Amino acid sequence: MGKTRLAVDVGGTFTDVVRLDDDGALLFEKVPTTPAEPTLGVIDSFVKAEADLADTSLFTHGTTLGLNALLTRTGARTAVIATDGFRDVFLLGRTDREGNYNILYRKPAALVERRDTFGVRGRMLFDGTVHAEFDEGHARQVAEAVRDGGYRSAAVAFLHSYANPDHERAMREVLSEVAPGVEVSLSSDLSREYREYERTSTTVLDAYIKPIMRTYLYDMENRLAAEDFAGEFLMMRSGGGAMTALAAREQPVNLVLSGPAGGVIGAANFSRLAGEPNLITVDMGGTSLDASLVIDGRPVLYQGANFEGLPINTTSLYIHTIGAGGGSIVWVDEAGGLQVGPQSAGADPGPASYGAGGEDPTFTDAALVVGYLGPETPLGGTLALDEDLARRALRPLAEQMGMSVENLASGVVRISATKVAGAVRSITIELGRDPKDFALLAFGGAGGIVAVDVAQQLGMRKVIIPPGQGAFSAFGMLLTDVQHDLAQTSVTGLSELDVERLESVYAEMADEAGRLLEAEGFEPSRHQLTRAVDLRYTGQEHTVSVHLPDDVEDPLGFLAEKFAEMHKQHYGHILTDPVQVTTFRLSATGVVDKPRLPVREARADGGLRPLGVRTVITEAGEARGETSVYARDDLFAGDFIAGPAVIVEHTATTVIHEGDALEVGEHGELIITLGGGEQ
Amino acid sequence: MIDPITIEIIRHGLLSACEEMARNLCRTSYNTVVYEIHDYGVGVHDHNGDIVADAPGIAVFTRGNDYGIKRSIEFLGKEAMKPGDIFLNNYPYWSSAHTLDPLIFAPVHVDGELVGFASCRVHVLDLKQKDPGYVLDSTDMYQEGIFFPVVKLYREGEICDDIFNIVRFNSRLPNHTIGDLQAQVSAVVTGVRRAQEIASKFGTDVLMEAMTAINDHGERLALAALQRMPKGTWSAVDYVDHDGVDLDKLVKMAVTITITDEEMVVDWTESADDVRGPINLPRGMTEAFNCLIFKALTTPDTGVTAGNFRPLRIITKEGSVMHAVPPMPTFTLWTGLLGGEVMLRALAKGMPDRVPACSGGDVCSVMALGHNPRTGGPWLEATNDAVGFGAHAGGDGEDGIMHLTEPGCRNNPVEVLEVKGPMLIESYGYRTDTGGLGRYRGGVGVSRVYRFNAPTTAISILYKTKSAPWGINGGGKGDPNHIVLNPGTEEEERKGGSYNILPEDTVLANNTGGGGGWGNPRERDPELVARDVRNGFVSPESAERDYGVALAPDALTVDEAATASLRA
Repeated sequence: MGKTRLAVDVGGTFTDVVRLDDDGALLFEKVPTTPAEPTLGVIDSFVKAEADLADTSLFTHGTTLGLNALLTRTGARTAVIATDGFRDVFLLGRTDREGNYNILYRKPAALVERRDTFGVRGRMLFDGTVHAEFDEGHARQVAEAVRDGGYRSAAVAFLHSYANPDHERAMREVLSEVAPGVEVSLSSDLSREYREYERTSTTVLDAYIKPIMRTYLYDMENRLAAEDFAGEFLMMRSGGGAMTALAAREQPVNLVLSGPAGGVIGAANFSRLAGEPNLITVDMGGTSLDASLVIDGRPVLYQGANFEGLPINTTSLYIHTIGAGGGSIVWVDEAGGLQVGPQSAGADPGPASYGAGGEDPTFTDAALVVGYLGPETPLGGTLALDEDLARRALRPLAEQMGMSVENLASGVVRISATKVAGAVRSITIELGRDPKDFALLAFGGAGGIVAVDVAQQLGMRKVIIPPGQGAFSAFGMLLTDVQHDLAQTSVTGLSELDVERLESVYAEMADEAGRLLEAEGFEPSRHQLTRAVDLRYTGQEHTVSVHLPDDVEDPLGFLAEKFAEMHKQHYGHILTDPVQVTTFRLSATGVVDKPRLPVREARADGGLRPLGVRTVITEAGEARGETSVYARDDLFAGDFIAGPAVIVEHTATTVIHEGDALEVGEHGELIITLGGGEQ
Repeated sequence: MIDPITIEIIRHGLLSACEEMARNLCRTSYNTVVYEIHDYGVGVHDHNGDIVADAPGIAVFTRGNDYGIKRSIEFLGKEAMKPGDIFLNNYPYWSSAHTLDPLIFAPVHVDGELVGFASCRVHVLDLKQKDPGYVLDSTDMYQEGIFFPVVKLYREGEICDDIFNIVRFNSRLPNHTIGDLQAQVSAVVTGVRRAQEIASKFGTDVLMEAMTAINDHGERLALAALQRMPKGTWSAVDYVDHDGVDLDKLVKMAVTITITDEEMVVDWTESADDVRGPINLPRGMTEAFNCLIFKALTTPDTGVTAGNFRPLRIITKEGSVMHAVPPMPTFTLWTGLLGGEVMLRALAKGMPDRVPACSGGDVCSVMALGHNPRTGGPWLEATNDAVGFGAHAGGDGEDGIMHLTEPGCRNNPVEVLEVKGPMLIESYGYRTDTGGLGRYRGGVGVSRVYRFNAPTTAISILYKTKSAPWGINGGGKGDPNHIVLNPGTEEEERKGGSYNILPEDTVLANNTGGGGGWGNPRERDPELVARDVRNGFVSPESAERDYGVALAPDALTVDEAATASLRA
């Protein structure tokens, strides 16, 4: 087995591949995604990257296959099996609706019809005691109906199974006997938290994509085996980290929201390299923008993600997506208000300036008129932007608004930055953090265009643009460890908890984590366990998760103190009410060898020279003729640029303003200090 | 003049401030009614109290906060409002809701100048109203709890312990109530800080000018929508079951709506005179529910601004159920939940293709409380349940969805209720055959069956059991909502809204109404009828009898020949 690492990120249109050789050589390539035969595009990407699988030690993979099955409602025919009397829990949901004033509201198409829902007699109580015994005869009848009804998958979610999963496990036994071809997902395997709808929804999503994902992963493994691959095959998880392909086959719901995960993982690793423990990440592409956080060098995780309003009750990376991208369309509403997005011109026809027939003015067109993008710097390597087309598309709106095209374009860029800043603010405040305490890490095709404006609006001083910003997400996959999230819900007063009990709960979870990781081939020296405790004031619902280091002398005192500190920080007050523990969490990591990030050498001789100068429109709408344009490939570690300047690269652009200072870091990252002035 | 780009940037900033206020509130609030059901309203207002930006909460609070702030300004005067002050107002005739929906607001000052307000309203659990939980039968306002007529919770940044102490000694649930007030305070402080930041970045004048421009823009949007609507005058009537005191007397809600290119005039003067019980509405609440319907009809897809409502004129008669005066009781507020549908009923006469039939109509709330043998302390839990939506020209009404007055609200999970209160939920699901018949079917209601394991006070709050949800264009009626005590036993009793003191082991079924249908049921696509039967929303008997659709013996497919003869 060799030392090459491969990461393949399958998106809706393109599949990105990154190859990292042992000598540090890094290669990025792109091939079309092949929806009809999903494994084909992955194999194509291996060929394009000239990867020798027999010589590859690690293959990390992200796919939107499960997500697409959900989006297009093409998953498995799924039976939902609930407690008798509660078959409607899934379809009813929380009975709320989007849009406060939509009195003709219809829900999005459901994944199952009501005829696909069943109830089985047997009832647990909230404390895990049995109120009515599991009715095996009744369960058999339901299992027969599932077998005879042509279902490929079954989601089993009984009331209070988080407290006692016995009935769900008994149902699995009955199903495996009566309907052996049907895949089964149990709610208690996926989530140990109360609220029946959220747990049921998680289980239905899992069951719905399970047959497709299992088939795909088997195919992929066979293809890899045929190429003599003998390394580790990992899948990206929604909850950060990766999981082995084997584990992914059992709980595919963990893959659903993994699309933006690579970028966040990359950011967390980069934060350690760059010595910036707290980062806000902004990944802005053609259609949408994903914002997330890294705190103390770790990505932020949360419970409460959803797909089209269907809750996913497993741990997910904390990512907020808004409809703001290069393709976001600029329009004026009927009362004369200027709007940007959320509709997008997409990649086809794309922005007007692509010259591919698009007529709607977009963010990209505005950025071109402003001078952040330029006709002389091809976008994505081949595509030249046409400023005349951009102006033509913007002109009617400018006339309608009674302003110049330049002023309109500058406004569009500022409005977009404001929307991004709003998204960033909302995720930081949700955690009770202040954006000022973070540096901004921006990537994706358009991230570097708005980064400085966003940082400025949020009072942030520092922006970092990582190397290879256009493909940073795929790159991040190479840095991913294997991760398991264990949780044990146990609502107890903090004052009633003793240290022995706390340690024994964690010892038990640590044992289980150790077994899982060893089964996956990680020797104990590669295990990393992180403890956190969810706490709240008695009577509150939402909890604060307090990280509990191993070496704390008085863990209970530590928890009480940290909880009060965090509550005060987040909400401005503390209370005298008793504190409750709700959930013990253990995050177990199997550490994968990290590749060495290529180091950008320092400039050997000569000075840094711009490619040229470009006219850039300022916020006030004035043209500034002397803005220098630099090629990122020409930058070496230690180079310094005083703003204003535009830095162009293969698939992305970075903008800094007057008064800002840019320095090139050790790995080629651009470190921008707002108001940093002259060196 | 301020440029349109700055306006847009400030608008986003204010919306983001509201979102931040709501997030803070939900995470710190103490009661499930706020954090699970999202029963709140937050906003940022201009210096007159007119709302400029809000975060979606409970829709029926639309503009209620404006009303409360304006009355507060009238009472105290702007000069009495100092930087760092935070006000509490729960006097129903000013705050526009009942005592338990306190409005908390703070003035936004920049360099000593008042530029706006931040506001937050939630439902708190107890402020010494005559009965724990909710009040259904007060006969004057003094039975409805302790009033705080615009008092300072914080005076120039300093907490006023006196007020908190009064709450502490006048609430049956002091910790929860004070915790919720604190959560509101933290929300408005956030709003003030954000608005100040915007002012310091763009300048106070620019912020104030932008607020005016945002409202002007909101007005233009509403006018443009109004101009596209049919013009004319239409009337409708519906009834509230009773006023909570005189239980046999229906209470009339009568509306006449006139639409011109310039305005919508909603005239409620033909409604009943004020009644003995607490379903009277203070004028502010009437305005709020009228605004909700007006917004839904004109500008449903954009954020709330006060300007949206300039083309709306509301006419009420003082001393009527739609415009009560002190000291009439107003606690229950339900007229405000039912009145919006009456407006839609009137409009259906002029624009049957634009409005839905009546929904199962009501928020169908059950609030239960008592002594919890498990904890040894008191308990109180509440949940609203979903109704069927009315069908409309574009399709069926949704099955089981929160009433149009409370879109952001969510049901309280079975597992949460059972953890918190001494009860077993026996079942929870859709009610077959409760949606109104029609070419487009009304949505079905739901049923939740409780068994209480300890003596319990169960308050059923629903007031639309006697007048069934209507259809449009020949569509049928929905089955009205109701509760049933001890179903299937000799003591079975079907009731409407009621305060029930129940012995241990009593069963209560909360059955919510179905929506009305739209059009002739015999014109419904037989395949849709077959699908409804497969899914148990319609029984095979109703399919045959009401829709004229016969199903093949497998009950899955339409028997076309038999259907043709049934429909002949």
